[in-house]
Amino acid sequence: MFDKVEAFYRPANVREALRLLQSGKGQARVVAGGTDVVVEGDDSVRYLIDITHAGLSYIRRRGTASVIGATTTMAELEASDAMQALAGGLLSRAARWCGSALVRNLATLGGNMANGSPAADMATPLLVLDASVVMVNARSRHKLPLAEYLAGARTKRHARSLLVEVVVPEPPNGKGCRWSFQKLGRTAVDISLVNVAAGLQLDSRGRVKWARIALGAVAPAPMRASGAEQRMKGRILDQALLAEIGAEVAREVSPISDARASAEYRREISSVLTRRALEECSAHVGCSL
Amino acid sequence: MKNMELHLTVNGESLNWTIAPGELLLDVLRRQGYFGVKRGCEKGECGACAVLLDGMPINSCLMFAAQAEGRQILTIEGVADGGKLDPMQEAFLDHGAVQCGFCTGGMVLSAKALLERRPDPTEEEVREMLAGHLCRCTGYRKPVEAVLAAASKKRNTARRMKPVAEVVR
Repeated sequence: MFDKVEAFYRPANVREALRLLQSGKGQARVVAGGTDVVVEGDDSVRYLIDITHAGLSYIRRRGTASVIGATTTMAELEASDAMQALAGGLLSRAARWCGSALVRNLATLGGNMANGSPAADMATPLLVLDASVVMVNARSRHKLPLAEYLAGARTKRHARSLLVEVVVPEPPNGKGCRWSFQKLGRTAVDISLVNVAAGLQLDSRGRVKWARIALGAVAPAPMRASGAEQRMKGRILDQALLAEIGAEVAREVSPISDARASAEYRREISSVLTRRALEECSAHVGCSL
Repeated sequence: MKNMELHLTVNGESLNWTIAPGELLLDVLRRQGYFGVKRGCEKGECGACAVLLDGMPINSCLMFAAQAEGRQILTIEGVADGGKLDPMQEAFLDHGAVQCGFCTGGMVLSAKALLERRPDPTEEEVREMLAGHLCRCTGYRKPVEAVLAAASKKRNTARRMKPVAEVVR
C-alpha cells in the first residue's frame, strides 16, 4: 500500500499546501488524520501532503459565527468549551460518536467533510446548523453552503482546492431552542447505518416556531428533510405530529441496500431516529409527549 | 521511491530512522522491533496496533510514519520500568484480563491515557474507551474491572503520598 509515494510533504501554511497540490498534477493526496485516506489505500497516490501543520487547527469566534479549522480533531471538538456551549453542545456530542477514542484523536472535521461519505457523522449536525465551508484555491477564497459542497465532494470539482474551515453561524438561541443527534450503527464505534440531527424551537403554547431535520447515510449525500421541516411549522408537537413527520421523512429519503443494512431498514430507521430526535428536543423543554 | 529521515522519540529514546514516504507508523515500528505493536485489522477497527502519541492513544495503522516527526511515541514495551510492571499491567494480571494477549498492549496503553485524563472514570467511560479495542478471548468484563481497580488503587496511593498537613486540612 502507498508503494508509489515519492514524497511526503508537511507544508507550514495553506499557500504552500496549495502550491504542492497544484504541482502534484492530480497525483497528490491531502492527508490530515489519515483515518479515511489510509483505509482507502489508493495505490495511485505519488505525493502526500500533510496539512496538520498548516495552521488549520483552531476553534474561534468570528463576529457572531463559530469558525472551526479543518484539521481540528473530533477529540478537540468533544473537549472544547466553546463547542460544548454551541447549540446545546450538538457538535461536541456528535463528535463523540465519530469512531473509537483512538480514531477521534486523529480524525478531523475537514476530513470528515472532504471524504464526502453519505454517512459522515458531523455532516448532519452541521447541516441543521446551516454551516458553510471555506474553500481556498490558487486564485480565490470562497465560502459555500455545506450542502452544496457535500453534493460535489466526491467529484473532481474541488480537486485543486483545500477545505480550510467550517463556519457555523450563530444558531437561533431563544427560549425553547433544542438540538439532538441520533445515530444507529452495528456497534458503538461503527459507521452510521443512519444518523439524524434535529433542532427546533417551541413557542410558549407548545407550537413549533421552526424545525430543522438532517439525515445521513440515506441518500447520495447527507440531506435536509425540508418537506418534514415545513410541515412542522406552527403545529403542536404531539404524538400524531411525530408519526406524521416520521412518515414524511421516510418518503423524503432515498437509501440504498448494502452490506450493513437494506434500503427498507434504513427507511424505517430514518423515521424512528427522526422521532427520537424530535422527542429529545421536546423533552428538554418540558413538553408533555 | 525516495527515502526520508524520521526523527522521533520512542519509549523515551531519541531516534533517527530512514523510512519510505508512504510507510505507515505500524509497519515502521514493527520493522524496528517493536513487536508489542500488533498488526490486526489494519483498518482502525481493532486497536491492537495502539500506541500513545504525545500521551494520546491512536491506531498506528492509520497514521503515516512521516507524521510522527518530532513526536513522542509510547509502545507497550516502554510501559514497564525495567523489570517492574506498571500498575495497569499488574491490574490486568490480577484480574485475569489477559488471555492470548494480542489486544492487551493496546488496552493497557489506552487505559493509562484514560486515567491521565480522568483519574476517577465511571464504568461507562471505561467501556467507551475499550470500545476501540477488540478482544476475542476474555471478553470485556475483566479488562473493565482491571481498569477500575487500577484507577482506585492509583487514587489511594496518591492520597497516601500527600503531605500530612494537606490531608488534615
